[in-house]
Amino acid sequence: MFEMIESVFNWIQSQYLIWTVLKIVVIVLPLITAVAFYTYFERKVIGSMQIRVGPNRVGPLGLIQPFADVFKLLLKEIVLPTNANRFLFVTAPVIALAPAFAAWAVVPFNDFLVLADVDAGLLYVLALTSLGVYGIIIAGWASNSKYAFLGAMRAAAQAVSYEIAMGFALVGVLILAGSMNLREIVLAQQGGIFDWYWLPLFPLFVIYMISGLAETNRAPFDMAEGESEIVAGFHVEYSGAAFAVFFLAEYANMILISGLTAIMFAGGWLSPFEGWPVIGDTFLGQGSIIWFLAKTVIFMFMFLWYRATWPRYRYDQIMRLGWKVLIPITLVWVMLSALMTVLGIVVKGS
Amino acid sequence: MLAQYLPILIFLCISTVIGIALVVIGGLLGPTRPDSEKLSPYECGFEAFEDTRTKFDVRYYLIAILFIIFDLEITFFLPWALALDTLGMFGIVAMFVFLAELVIGYIVIWKRGALEWE
Amino acid sequence: MIVQELIFYAFSLVMVFAAVAVITVRNPVYAVLFLVLAFFSAAAIWMLLEAEFLAIILVVVYVGAVMVLFLFVVMMLDINLVPLKEGFIRYLPVAAIVAVAMAIELLMVLWSRGRFGVDMFPVPPPHSADYSNTRELGELLYSNYLLPFEVAGVVLLVAIIAAVALTLRTRPGIKVQNPSVQVRTRRDASVRLVKMKSEKPRGA
Repeated sequence: MFEMIESVFNWIQSQYLIWTVLKIVVIVLPLITAVAFYTYFERKVIGSMQIRVGPNRVGPLGLIQPFADVFKLLLKEIVLPTNANRFLFVTAPVIALAPAFAAWAVVPFNDFLVLADVDAGLLYVLALTSLGVYGIIIAGWASNSKYAFLGAMRAAAQAVSYEIAMGFALVGVLILAGSMNLREIVLAQQGGIFDWYWLPLFPLFVIYMISGLAETNRAPFDMAEGESEIVAGFHVEYSGAAFAVFFLAEYANMILISGLTAIMFAGGWLSPFEGWPVIGDTFLGQGSIIWFLAKTVIFMFMFLWYRATWPRYRYDQIMRLGWKVLIPITLVWVMLSALMTVLGIVVKGS
Repeated sequence: MLAQYLPILIFLCISTVIGIALVVIGGLLGPTRPDSEKLSPYECGFEAFEDTRTKFDVRYYLIAILFIIFDLEITFFLPWALALDTLGMFGIVAMFVFLAELVIGYIVIWKRGALEWE
Repeated sequence: MIVQELIFYAFSLVMVFAAVAVITVRNPVYAVLFLVLAFFSAAAIWMLLEAEFLAIILVVVYVGAVMVLFLFVVMMLDINLVPLKEGFIRYLPVAAIVAVAMAIELLMVLWSRGRFGVDMFPVPPPHSADYSNTRELGELLYSNYLLPFEVAGVVLLVAIIAAVALTLRTRPGIKVQNPSVQVRTRRDASVRLVKMKSEKPRGA
């Protein structure tokens, strides 16, 4: 019996393609579930911040609500507006979704759980985030609606502006870590919570989170959607499953940015208590995937918190913040961190 | 090295397939009952005034051009950051000169008001 | 290695198809999107050459930045579709000359290294496990090739200034917010307290 299982296991392992596809499914399925519950979490969190209950009708505590939403969206009609470019109209959500998912290929969940342990992981992530603009622009143009087009143009210009600040923030991480491999970036932060890069790179850490908000078009930078002025921005004309895919992409991107923040600035799967007396010797001092997930959830929570706390920026204010505040700060701090590394003030973890 | 990139290619294919599958499933499950009002572009209940694809503020192009330039600067920073431990102080001075050139350009666009959004 | 060859041919096919489509499709937006596809396949082929830094940078810079500008321009300039096609026959001779010249140049490069064939191009030795493409590039670029690098900086500076000079138009009569002035406002500048006697109620 045992031998048979073992032989089946060996056979699967030899089937490279099946094995990889299985691994990808193991990443994607929890991701989709996480997105579903993230929407529920968002409504609950913002509800309690505004002293409301949030969804509580479907299932116990409203826990089945996300599934109800999904089925409702899938069963709705996909309206193809007249004069819309049909082919691009339906491909735009797919183009938005693919990079949001595929970026997870290089994310290390712990020391060995990573699908593709590539050398240029950080660069790959940078490339995929820069592809996110396409879904938005194409959707806005293909809809042939003024609101959609206006929203798309705003969103594209905004995403593009904040990508610079984001890129420079990542250069800071690169300088300290000396590697573009995400696993090695985490390993370079070894030590307790004060050895993680949020401390020496604090301004870059803050800027990364701000640009993450702007990249994903979340409040307070949700000019692209701006319900009160351009209705819903680039996806006004979308309905049903096509809209659901956009929604999925947006939330997958938020989770991705949270996960990346955890990796770049908060030590990935490492334990905050590593090397501490007493507590560092217990299981709490061990790095594990649980730490990584916990950190990701904290950053995900912050996305929601910002939305409940800050009013929406005006468009000229967004552009000014990106170009005139964030970029100069990142430039200065990148050079400072280079000096810190060369002079040996910040030493790479073992 | 290439073996590491193969899963990425597969992942890209799979995520595209997931997206297509979702849209197709939605298209099959949902009803299709078009009527001319439903299909008209959304404009708060008005008839559309003019064609959507009109000329746009030139400022958007300027932002895109500046983005290309700054993106290139970032790509120059990446190998530098990796090789910094072997380059040492020399590398920092080299990058300072490069950065100074960038900062001159940055000051120019700031002073000319190109970053001003009106 | 059969997989590698399959992938190479698949991406080459896609790239050639996309490149032809760029110049034959009627809709300029489709043309730009096909160009994106061509760049993407080119990146994949570079990746097969183990040039990971260049491959991903091709996606970051060309697909992520340059093509976005192209899309902006094509989508917003309201280009009429028909006149674009008219020049096709007229420019064909010039285009053919350029194409032939480029083909001859490519052949000359190949010829100077000897004739075609795998044996003329020895396989480079495999890299060690900790070999990093990007790091090697950095070590060379910022030491041996320092001057070209700084010159590239100057070129970028010129590009910034040219872009601003060419496209920036300040419209008259616009209202701009100046936050630093707003923050620095003093109470005295806008509020004046006037002492006055209380008025007597009428008829008292």
